[in-house]
Order: sequence, then C-alpha cells, then structure tokens
Amino acid sequence: MMERKLYRVMAFILIIIGFSACEKNVTVEIPESEPKIVVEGYVIAGEKPYVILSRTLPFFGTVNINSVVNQTITGALVTVSDGIITDTLEQFPGIGLYISDLITGESGKTYTLRVEAEGKVLSSSTFLPQPVALDSVWWKVNGNRDSLGFAWAHLTDPDTLGNYYRWFAQRINRYTFGLEEGKIKDSIFIAPNGSVFEDKFINGKSFDFAYQRGQVPNSNKADDFNDEKFFFKIGDTIVVRFCTIDRSHFDFWRTVETQVGSNGNPFASVAPVSSNIEGGLGIWGGYACTFDTIIAR
Amino acid sequence: MRAFFILLPFLLNAFTDCVAVSAAKPFTISGFVKEEGTGESLLGANVYIKENLKGTSSNVYGFYSITIPEGKYTLVISYLGFETQEHSIDLVKDIRMDIKLRKAAFITKEVEIVGRKEEKNVESAEMSRDKLEIEKIKSLPAFLGEVDILKTIQLLPGVLSAGEGNTGYYVRGGGPDQNLILLDEANVYNANHLFGFFSVFNADAVQNVTLTKGGMPANYGGRLSSVLDIQMKEGNNQKFGVQGGLGFISSRLTVEGPIKRDTGSFIVSGRRTFVDLFLRKPFVQEGSDIEGNKYFFYDLNAKANYRLNQNNRIFLSGYFGRDIFNFKSPDSDFELEIPWGNATTTLRWNHVFNDRIFMNTSLIYTNYDFQFEGGQEGFNFKLFSGITDYNIKSDFNWFPHPGHNIKFGGQYIYHVFVPSNVSARSGDVVFDLGKTLRQYAHDLAIYINDEYDITDKLRINAGLRGTLFQQVGPFDRFVRDPIRKVVTDTIHYNTLENVKTYSNVEPRLSIRYTLDQKSSVKASYTQNYQYIHLASLSSISLPTDTWVPSTDLVRPQFSTQYAAGYFRNFNNNTYETSIEVYYKDMKNQVEYSEGFLPENSINDNVDNDFVFGQGWSYGAELFLKKVKGNFSGWIGYTLAWTYRKFPDLNRANVFAPKYDRRHDVSLVLSYDVSKRVSLGATWVYATGNLNTFPERLYLLSDGNVLQDYGDQRNNYRLVPYHRLDLSFTLRNKPTKKFESSWNFSVFNVYNRYNPFIIYFDTDLNEDNISIQAKQITLFPILPSITYNFKF
Repeated sequence: MMERKLYRVMAFILIIIGFSACEKNVTVEIPESEPKIVVEGYVIAGEKPYVILSRTLPFFGTVNINSVVNQTITGALVTVSDGIITDTLEQFPGIGLYISDLITGESGKTYTLRVEAEGKVLSSSTFLPQPVALDSVWWKVNGNRDSLGFAWAHLTDPDTLGNYYRWFAQRINRYTFGLEEGKIKDSIFIAPNGSVFEDKFINGKSFDFAYQRGQVPNSNKADDFNDEKFFFKIGDTIVVRFCTIDRSHFDFWRTVETQVGSNGNPFASVAPVSSNIEGGLGIWGGYACTFDTIIAR
Repeated sequence: MRAFFILLPFLLNAFTDCVAVSAAKPFTISGFVKEEGTGESLLGANVYIKENLKGTSSNVYGFYSITIPEGKYTLVISYLGFETQEHSIDLVKDIRMDIKLRKAAFITKEVEIVGRKEEKNVESAEMSRDKLEIEKIKSLPAFLGEVDILKTIQLLPGVLSAGEGNTGYYVRGGGPDQNLILLDEANVYNANHLFGFFSVFNADAVQNVTLTKGGMPANYGGRLSSVLDIQMKEGNNQKFGVQGGLGFISSRLTVEGPIKRDTGSFIVSGRRTFVDLFLRKPFVQEGSDIEGNKYFFYDLNAKANYRLNQNNRIFLSGYFGRDIFNFKSPDSDFELEIPWGNATTTLRWNHVFNDRIFMNTSLIYTNYDFQFEGGQEGFNFKLFSGITDYNIKSDFNWFPHPGHNIKFGGQYIYHVFVPSNVSARSGDVVFDLGKTLRQYAHDLAIYINDEYDITDKLRINAGLRGTLFQQVGPFDRFVRDPIRKVVTDTIHYNTLENVKTYSNVEPRLSIRYTLDQKSSVKASYTQNYQYIHLASLSSISLPTDTWVPSTDLVRPQFSTQYAAGYFRNFNNNTYETSIEVYYKDMKNQVEYSEGFLPENSINDNVDNDFVFGQGWSYGAELFLKKVKGNFSGWIGYTLAWTYRKFPDLNRANVFAPKYDRRHDVSLVLSYDVSKRVSLGATWVYATGNLNTFPERLYLLSDGNVLQDYGDQRNNYRLVPYHRLDLSFTLRNKPTKKFESSWNFSVFNVYNRYNPFIIYFDTDLNEDNISIQAKQITLFPILPSITYNFKF
C-alpha cells in the first residue's frame, strides 16, 4: 500500500515539475510458454464442494465467453477428501465444472483436492475454519453526502491469532428507474477491493469498520460510473456475507487484489498471485460464512 | 590469518628500510599542497624528486612527506590542471615546505619537463579507481540544469545508471546498497532527492570526487561494490566570495571566506527548489488537480576549518537536506505530510606528529529519516523509518621511506536502525501495530595498508582489515511458524545483550608492474564484508528504503573480487587508457521473499521476509581519456554479465537481475572554444533492462482476469537505451569584481523515446477483453537554462 501510495506521489511530483512524460502503445513479444492448468475450487460450510478446471490463455489474445468455455478442461479425474470420505467429483456436462455429491463442507475440517488432467497431477488442501459472526451491521451517510454511504460493521476478533476474513455484500432491492428498472441491483455477492483482512493488527480487539460497495470486474452498470460508485444508497437492502478463510486462501485473494489493483498502473511492481495448488495455478479454498442484512436508512 | 603472514614481511621491511637508510643520514621534506588564491587543499598531487623520480602524492588533506638521504635535489610538484612547480633544495636538515599551486591558465602551455614522471594512471598501484574534477563535472550537460555528481560517475566504465534521469548506480554487477557514499567521511544513506532524479550533493560545495570500484585499499570497508568519497570545499582563506545560480529546478547560493587569512576559512552553501512557490495562488486555479499539493527540497552544506598551529588543524563540516511533500485536500479534511532527508556532522582534527607521521581523527554523526503522516475523519496513520550512526575514527599516515606509504587506523560506529514502524488509530481505538522496533549494533574495524615499491618496476599495495559487527539488545526476535507464517514466539534480548556477533579479516592486495615509461600492468584481489543491508522492492530508490543490520538470521554479505588491467598513457600523458577485466563473487545476498508485501513486516522483524542467495559477475572495461588540452573527455565501454541464484526465488534457478546489461557505452566530450565559450556533449548507450512480464492469462469465476508471470524472473529485455545531451556555456565578460555565465543544456537531443516502464492495460469492448502494452517515456527532449554568478 505504502509503495503504491508513494508511486502515486512520485507521478504527481513529476507532473508538477513539468516533466512531459509521454505514453505510447508498443508491441511486446512475450516469450512463448505452454498453457498451465488453473484450478478454482471452493468448499463452503454447509455446501457441496466444487471445482472449475481451465487452461491459461495467450497473453495478447482476445478473451470472451467463448474462449473461456473452450479453455475449460473436461474429462479430468477430480477427487476431494475430508480425511474420512474420498469422493470423485462429477463433471457438469460439456464444461469443466466438477461437483461433489457425497461431501458437505464442515468447519474444523481439512479438505484435500487431487486433480488428474491432461497427463498431470495437481493437488492442494484447505482448512475450513469456524465462522465468526459480526456483532452488528449498519449503514451510515458518508461525510456531507445526503443519501450515499458505506456499509459498517462491528467485529470482535477472537483471542487467538491467525483469523482471516473475507467480506462480500449484495444489494437485493430492485432498481426503480433507469435502463435496468425492475431488476435486482446485484445478482451475486460482490467482494469490494480490500475484501480480505487478517487479525495481525487487531487480534482480540473489538472495533468498527466500513466497506465501500464493490463492483463486478469490467462492470458497465450506470451506478458503477456515476456518483453512486463505491456507495450504497439510502433505501438499499444489503446482505452482508462475512466469511472466515485459512491463511493460503487469504494470501490468494490478497495477491489477486494487489494484481488487479495494479493493473494499468505504470508504477506498480510485479504482483504475482500466490496459489496453493501444487502443479498449477488458482485456489482451493474453504469458506465459513455468516449473513446479515442492512436496510440503508 | 594467512593473509597477515603474507603482509608481514613487507611491514617488517618498512622498519628495516628505515634503519638501513638512517645510516645514510636521511632527512624529510614535508608539508601541505594547496591551491593558490583559495587555500583549498589539493589531494593526490604528485610530489617527487626530479633526480631519481622517487616520490609520493599528497593525501586526502593535502599532506605529503618524502624521506631521502642528504643532498641537493629538485623537488617537483605537479597536479593536473595546475602549473607544475620545481624547487631546488639543499637537504641538510628536515624541511617543512607548504606549496601553493596556481591554476593553469586557459590554453595550457605544455610545461616542458625533462625526466618527467609518469602520471598516476600508469604509475599508481591502485586500479579500478577514478577521480573527477568538479570543474569538469560542471562543464558537462546537466539534466534540467542541475549539475549532479552521481549522474556524472554513471558515465564511467563499470558504473551503470539505475534508470532514466536517476542518480542510483550499480557497480560491477553489485546491488545499489553495495555502494558506500561518504561526504566528508560521513556515510550518506540515501543520497537522493525526489525519488532519485536529483542527488543531495550540491556541486557548488564539493571539491573532490573519487570512486573506487575494486582493489579497495584497507582504509575503506563496509560495502561490497564501491566507495564514492566526496570532499566538501574548505572555503577560500584569502578573500570573501559569493557564488550562486538560478536554474530550472533550483537556486543556489554559496558564501565563503577567511575566518583569519591563511589560517582559517568557512563556506556555507544552500540550494532549494522553488516550484512550490508557483503552485500557489494565483498560479494554480481553484479546483485543479494539483491544488493543495506542495513539494520542495533543499540542501545546506557548511564547513569551517582553522589551523591552530603548523601541526594542528581542525575542521567542522555538516550537511542537512530535506524533501518535503504536503497534501491538503481542498474539499475534505484529508491531509498528508511526508518529510525525509539526511543530516551529517563531521568534526576532524589533523595532527602532524612529526614530518613523517600524519594523523586525522574524526567524530561523525549521520542520520537519515523518513516520515509519512496522514489522516482523515479521525483516522490517523503514521509511518517512520531511518538510521543513525555515531562514529569515531582515527587514521594514521606514515611515510617511513619513499618506498613506503603506510596507512593504519581504526573506526567504531554505533548504529541505531529504525525499520518501518507504523502507528494508526481510528477514533479511540489504537491499532496494535507493535511498539517501536529499533535495532542496535556495534561496528568496529581496524586496518593497516602499505604501498611499497619493491623494485623500481614493482609496486605492491597490501592491506588487511579486521572487522567486528555485533547486534545488541534491546531486541525482540519474532519467531514465525514456518507453515502458517504467524508469529508464534518472541525471544527478548536485554539492553546491550549480544544478539549475534560476526568477525572477519579482509585481505586486500594490488600489484603494479611497470612495463616501460608509458605502460604498466596491474592486478588486484579484494575481499569485502558488508554488515548492513538494504532490501528494496523497487528498482528505483525510494525514501522508504530501510537499512537493516546483520542479525541472527541475516549473515554479512561477502565478496571476493579479482581484477587485472593494462594501463598505458600516450602522447606525453595527454591520453590515458586502460583495459580492466574483473570477476566478482558475492555471497549472502539479500532479497525479499517472493510475494512479499510491505505490510508483512508490521509487528514483525523485516528480516523474517528475507531470502538469501549468491551472485557473481564478470566483465571488461575499456577507458580512453584525453586529460589535457582544450578538447578533453573520455570514452568508456563496459561489457558485463551478472547473475543471481537464490534457493527460494525463481524456483532456485539462476536469473539475471534487472540491471544485467551486456553493453554500456559513454562518450563524454568537452571543448573550450575560447575564453568565453565552451561546449559539452555526452552520449550514452546501454543494453535494455530486464523486466518480468506476464506470459499468460486466466479467468476467475467472479470475472477477474489474472496474469501468470511464468517461471522465469526477468524474462523480457527492453529495447536499448541511448541518448545524446549537449551543453553550451557562455561566460560573460568578467569585470574586476563580478563574473557570470549562462549554461544552456539540452537533454535527449534527438528526442529518443526511451522506455522508463512498460505496463499492460486491459481493454474491454463489447464482451471481448484484450490487453495492450504501453510504454512510458519520462523525458523527451528537454532544454534548460542556468545562470551562474560569482563575485
């Protein structure tokens, strides 16, 4: 964060001193490399574990829904074990989505994953922690804005060090005007930037914190561009999904957010994503979540 | 230890020589070499006996001493750019002779000297060493009109620039923290302003600049790759003077004069940027992007010296500089203040014990600190880091016999390190970011070095440096669980309790063998230990960079360097040439672990996130320099390779660091057209930097597009960097009391778009995502004007 802030300061200083930095599009010949296997799998408390398998795409190619579907890996052997039961996941017809039938996520258990695909073996494991509920949630107007604000919460962190959290929110009320009138504002839970945090600095403390409203990547919705961007509006019904995760799951999202946040920032340094998949990329992560509802008023 | 036994015969020899010579009634000529008109000490002046070409050169304080048998001699004193003097002496007793050399007039008349001694390039046993005259530096094109020592040394072979317009440098494949930068013996830890675009050294206050890249004499130590030794001007002890300048970026003013004529003098020199003055109303409109911002830097150098009597002289010098950035949001209560900078103070005492033994003792204080303070709506955040040194050192210079120049001495430094410390609070809740962590260390060194002429042709410069480094408490070692990476235990050390002690012996050896009058071959072997480290996430110098000591986890960096060279002068020493080859091996190199984020080190020891590995580099350097005449300059060419291997980085495979550059060329020319007009030009070419670029893409189900960086660090080389700069200096007709000049510089004359950085931007159109590479060029063609005056 610090470094990024400094880069911004530096960019600013260069501008004020009147350096006329210039930018142009260039062609970069990136070394050829073989596709790698990407695993995205979750085990959520109370739900059936699932895994999506895909291959990495060429860097300068065009990516759209077709290229993504074409890159998913079908016909793989995917097994999940909770230490007692080992289940072979069933593939969803036509695409590389695999769902368990026998296993349901339970807090306190470690889940191991094994994938055999395209002649390679990948493996991982994740721990599903106990959920930690928020004490309370509310909405508050930001500064002197009259109808816009952030979602606030009060958390009491457990005494033991090593708790990791992820925050999601979804507006379940409908648009009352505009192009999308009548539609539910958010169709899924959205994690805002900075959605993960750890208790390293707040261990055992009881405190208030706030989150801005997140948006779906590459969103083209009107309220992600106008004054409402980052804010919840008076009248919104907000469902907060607050989850505990393990260390490597936290590292994954933290590095994802760092990379996504530095995308398009010329002064950012290399930001690789940390993965817990042996032999591939991606994440095998557990979530233990609690839900709260805020009515913004 | 074995090295000591190698050195021992030479030292014994120094004593026996004395004894042997004393039978023939030897006498000593000694004194100081100074500049006429200002009284500034001249270091490195050649002082020798014409009849037998035996001689020496003046030391860092201008002191020289020659001991020879009774007789009639001619003493010659020569110094580049000054008129050579000859003095007939009848040596029947010890003679004390202070010499004042006069600056050579414009259009140097070649002074004819029969039996001329070869210049230092060929004659000295030192290699891998360059000295730059400040006047020369000032005549070259300057970036935005700011004369910069650190940018000029980047034009020397073996020294690579850290980047466009940057003062950072890499020497012979070593990292940026492996360069020792001394200002009047005080260590300057962060020699940059404005993220490295300008150095902290105000050229108006500087007298001498010497860079050592290898074959370091034993009186230097503590860094693996280089020593940059900068001496501040002493001030004119003859008359008062004022000089200054107005430039694009900053303005400068220097006042100097005698405290007492011929006895003491002072100099005070200041520099400050003034763009911030134009960023206020009415220049800045309300509501514009830059409203509320303020940035400036300044430097203040001061020095005074006083000669108590013939044998005692004291110096007091200091430097203080700051960068200050302020932001106050015009429409909310968000505020930010970021000051950082260095402060140094040096108190020195020169003492001449007798005509053969010279001593200097210094007390030195140096400090670098950085702060970042911000706040909004009851949330406050503060970060600070820095380092402070308390240093005492004593250096002796003993001239027992013209064949020997022995230096010995010792140094003790008490370091106080402040790694990044953070405090934050929101309303009444104070976040637990740990108590202030400080680290303390004792740093001790003793050395002995002898430059000894074994025969007329063979000279040896041998030295030994013994070093001891001890980290002491109070200190808390946070022990991490290796898998969960959570701190599980803390080991506490009490005040002055030993945390870890390292001690080492560093042998240094260089040999010169004269082939004929004009040429010589040299070889050197250097071992260096470095006990303090700078791990940086970025390739450019950031004010947040923090120094850390060697600890129970971080072992001292260690290097062994082998160098050999051929040196030849042409055309009555008008041209100096050299070819040097080197191989450098570096152990215990420090980097951050993969995926490290700065917040990891909060509430923790920063070295818990370090990884360690080794490095090696080799290469060749060609140097051709024209040192005399109206037309002067040099060509430097470096061919180099450098590698790193870390068990925990790049899957333990070898990788080349960002600044592994195969070719690096510098062409420097200056031409004095007439008394009033001079021209300068520099051209540089360098192989492009290495970068780590993503190789492939992948998508997550939440819609995020991620980049895979592949398996090889630094997998992409940018296009070569090259640039031409020109300068034109016009001196106005001087009056008796006032001189002034205009300097016009043009940076990047042919407007080459050199890449500073390449980044990737994601384009979304319709439902397709594609990626575009974009290159940022920081500096296109940039002209500047500077006005300088002196009265």
